[in-house]
Amino acid sequence: MSAHNAAAERGGTAPKPRTRLALGDILSMRNVAVTVLIVYFAVFMAYPIFKAFAGSLHDWNPLTDTYDWVGLANFRQVLTDALFWKSIWNTAVFSFFSILFRVVIGLALAMLLTSRLVRAKDSLRGLFYMPTITPLVAVSFVWMWMFDPQFGMIDKITGLDISWLNDSKWAMPAIIIMTVWKDFGYATVLYMGGIMSLPRDVYEAVSLDGANKWQTFRSITLPLLRPTTLLIVITSLISYLQAYVQILVMTGGGPGTDTYTISYLIYDQAFQKYNFGVASAMSVILFALTGVLTLLMFKASGDNLEETR
Amino acid sequence: MKRHTIASIVVTALLFAPAAVTIIPFIWMLVSSFAPNSEIVKLTGGVFPTPSTIDNYVNIQDRFNFMRLFANSLFVATLKTVLIIYISAVLGYVFSKLHFRGRNLLFAMVLATMMLPWAVTIIPQYDMMVRFGWLDTYRSLIIPGLVSGFGVFLFRQSIGGISDEIIEAARLDGASDWRIFHQVVLPMSRNSIAALAIFTFLWNWEDYLWPFLMITDDDKQLLSVGLKMFSGQYGTDYGGLFAATSVAIIPVVIVYMCFQKQFIAGIATGSGK
Amino acid sequence: MNVKRSLAALTAAVAVLAGATGCSSNTSSGVIDTKADKGLAVLGDHVTYDPNHLVNDGQPIELGYWSWGDASTDPVITMLHKYEKIHPNVTFKISQVAWSDYWVKTPLSLKGNKNAPVLFNVHNSQDALLRPHMAAYDIDLKDLEADYTNVETHVVDGKVDYIDSVINTGNIYYNKTLWKQAGLTDDDIPTTWDEFAEVARKLTKFDGGKMVQAGFNMNGDGRYDGLWQGLNYQRGTLMFDKSGTKANYDSKATRENLRFLLDLYEKDKVGSVKFGDNSEQSFGNGQTAMIYAWGALQGTLETKYPDIDYGVFPTPTFTKAVPFAYDRYNGESTPGINVHQSDEQQAVAQDFIRFMLAGDDYVRTAVKLQNSFPGKKSLQNDPEILANPVMAAIKPRLDRLIWPGPTPSTLESSPKIAFQNVFQNHQNIAKAVAAAQAQIETDMKGSDFTSLERMYRHYDEAKQD
Repeated sequence: MSAHNAAAERGGTAPKPRTRLALGDILSMRNVAVTVLIVYFAVFMAYPIFKAFAGSLHDWNPLTDTYDWVGLANFRQVLTDALFWKSIWNTAVFSFFSILFRVVIGLALAMLLTSRLVRAKDSLRGLFYMPTITPLVAVSFVWMWMFDPQFGMIDKITGLDISWLNDSKWAMPAIIIMTVWKDFGYATVLYMGGIMSLPRDVYEAVSLDGANKWQTFRSITLPLLRPTTLLIVITSLISYLQAYVQILVMTGGGPGTDTYTISYLIYDQAFQKYNFGVASAMSVILFALTGVLTLLMFKASGDNLEETR
Repeated sequence: MKRHTIASIVVTALLFAPAAVTIIPFIWMLVSSFAPNSEIVKLTGGVFPTPSTIDNYVNIQDRFNFMRLFANSLFVATLKTVLIIYISAVLGYVFSKLHFRGRNLLFAMVLATMMLPWAVTIIPQYDMMVRFGWLDTYRSLIIPGLVSGFGVFLFRQSIGGISDEIIEAARLDGASDWRIFHQVVLPMSRNSIAALAIFTFLWNWEDYLWPFLMITDDDKQLLSVGLKMFSGQYGTDYGGLFAATSVAIIPVVIVYMCFQKQFIAGIATGSGK
Repeated sequence: MNVKRSLAALTAAVAVLAGATGCSSNTSSGVIDTKADKGLAVLGDHVTYDPNHLVNDGQPIELGYWSWGDASTDPVITMLHKYEKIHPNVTFKISQVAWSDYWVKTPLSLKGNKNAPVLFNVHNSQDALLRPHMAAYDIDLKDLEADYTNVETHVVDGKVDYIDSVINTGNIYYNKTLWKQAGLTDDDIPTTWDEFAEVARKLTKFDGGKMVQAGFNMNGDGRYDGLWQGLNYQRGTLMFDKSGTKANYDSKATRENLRFLLDLYEKDKVGSVKFGDNSEQSFGNGQTAMIYAWGALQGTLETKYPDIDYGVFPTPTFTKAVPFAYDRYNGESTPGINVHQSDEQQAVAQDFIRFMLAGDDYVRTAVKLQNSFPGKKSLQNDPEILANPVMAAIKPRLDRLIWPGPTPSTLESSPKIAFQNVFQNHQNIAKAVAAAQAQIETDMKGSDFTSLERMYRHYDEAKQD
């Protein structure tokens, strides 16, 4: 919306009247960038997406050169598959708790780190961000060993006797714990950025009103940080719906099928069972799901990233 | 004043608990990487194994060509990071300061790629790479991922914040958009560059599935793949895995250290302010 | 820090690294072979190999070989090196990919990739995926059948793409040190599952309620997924129904066997799902006294856990009587040839296969590395091979081992999930088994697999339930 208005306002100044086409005009940044982008998009995005949609309607196995039209049979198989629904549920649980803890812990630490009371801010901030910048494959290995019921340090420190990754009650929580540990730093840093750019004068005004810290937080900080929260929730949602590396490394979907997530199921179907058609049908569903949830999130927050600029 | 000091100590101390939780896994990994296997798998004994050897580090080079994979990963991740930053900045400028028909539609499409699950495109892209004959080349790792929705978004936000007067002034001096971009806009975007550098480097450093599918030649393989393979083949060599993992983390930490200051500021721009 | 400078420094570092790595990748030394007459004898009885010729006209050539094993588990690798000595113009580039990754990567890579291997390790459970990419052996079928057992089970359209080098089956591996510590001797080696449970109890140790040594361990991959098949066969139940296309996992035998195994953990308390995630590791670390494992464990133990003093005894049975079958067997496959590779490479690969199958060294090495019975007839009565207790144990059972064919991998992965559901998730046995059966049927939809159980010589004795 705002972009349209801006364009209209400045419409008169942008294109100069030209008499003949100069090479410099043809190679202008706008022309080059837009052309390259469109070509690139067509090849590496539009075509694969089209191909995935088409593939979801076929019995597709590239290894045996099978590519036979089956209509909606793949979707029918996926939607009636109990494992698919279980994976959706697992993904929902995984995403919900990971996002919740990521936001809560991220915000709490960011508030503490930006308060004037804290010493050694820089080193603490650097430290909290360490897990986020550590490769996920590596982190998954380390935590797999930490969760080991025999020589892992978690059971040793807490005195618990839990076979974390092999117990259906604990496998998903274990993966969530590890994911939150890895990712909270990202939220912390985003919130710190958000908090530091909050307008000071508002706070001065409320402190004159005699509001206490909690009231200030509830009524001023939290609402003002809404764009940041929205950004964190949406980017987290998108990435957690696609999470599979930690599952692949730590549990292989087990025990039983208790940690199958939708993306792990797709990986399993595509690269272990070579049902590319079924895998494509699942990814099309996942794509739709991601789109719908993201839009809902924008709607629910009554906000629009476009306007937050 | 005194109360302030006490409160400060309390809050700082409070922060050390999560700090400890954050750092202990790293310490455990580091300590274990210096311990022999028998010490790591001991059923009785303390939380940390007793470090006593550097064999684990010596052995990783023998077990798989660690330095080679490390160098490969460094090369691919860095090149890709530089390219993605540049392309994102160009597109960020185009989408925020230049006007053309369909701009919003095109930008919406770029943004929508952020929502696109890897699973949707990976199979067709695999097919495409086979047809292009790009398997086993770094082209296949670098080219398909050059437009980053996140990067374009970040730069569009930050470049949008640069006032139009500066750009108009340069334009009146007869500067082309390319020149304005390189001489005015790019130098003003260092925070976004830093933020994107860290994320992009990390994402490419840890990317596993795509390089695994694309690269067959052991000499061209990347570290994240090597690490997973190492665990498959030498799954019982915990010490070696700890050592390899420790070394694998270092470059990302260095990149982070380099860009830390600008990074936070860059993120602040991206977070919608 | 200045962003520009950091970027510049990084780029420079990368350029240096790229240069350095670029220089170090020198291509294989090009030896030209001119001596056709190697002065070597012709190998083999029916399949023969005359080494005295040039391959690839003596011109240097590099061939890729992929395997999930290394020289200590894969006998082909030894043979590749022997072949390189005879034909110095040939260099093999050997790549090892871990088992789980191997099956993601290999089938996809064979096609349309100039760096794809021309030779690759085959497992018959992946038959359907690999077959379209394999070239048939250029060896007369009659000669092969004269030298090797079970060749007929691999014939498709009058040709074979691979055959069995050795016959592998499950046995019980036990830790001799722990065995002695528990006061057990060779006379205590159990022959029935009841005796087995008794021994296992003696081999289990607790430290204040917490298990510190497991008598028998089934946790992780490669245990129940193999064991269930043998146990069902012992009860006379087939893996597939009469048609040979529908899996028979959801059967009375499966449920009884799961109950029996669960009792071992929960009533006899000789093992626990909490006792680690990987029984092989636990056995190697000397924390588990007995595991059921197939021959490949031998190589694993030798490379990863050289200090373990272990023995092997035949898998017990439910009664003293001879069962329908003791276990299933599986042939370890000979390597496949990639039909998409260049003609030059394929020609050398064919020559290599002939070399490997004509001589005895390959099968002899395979017997040793995989603790499996030779598939080559000339070696089946070899005194040196029969001196190995496992071979001695398998030989009398050979007649009572059954092969269901190259069964799809879902027959292992789905029961494994059922096992986890019962043992870890305490799910009802019947429910877990039914779910696995449903999963197998879904996975096998569209598969053209037909069981080869009907080719078993005692097929008629099978229970029909």
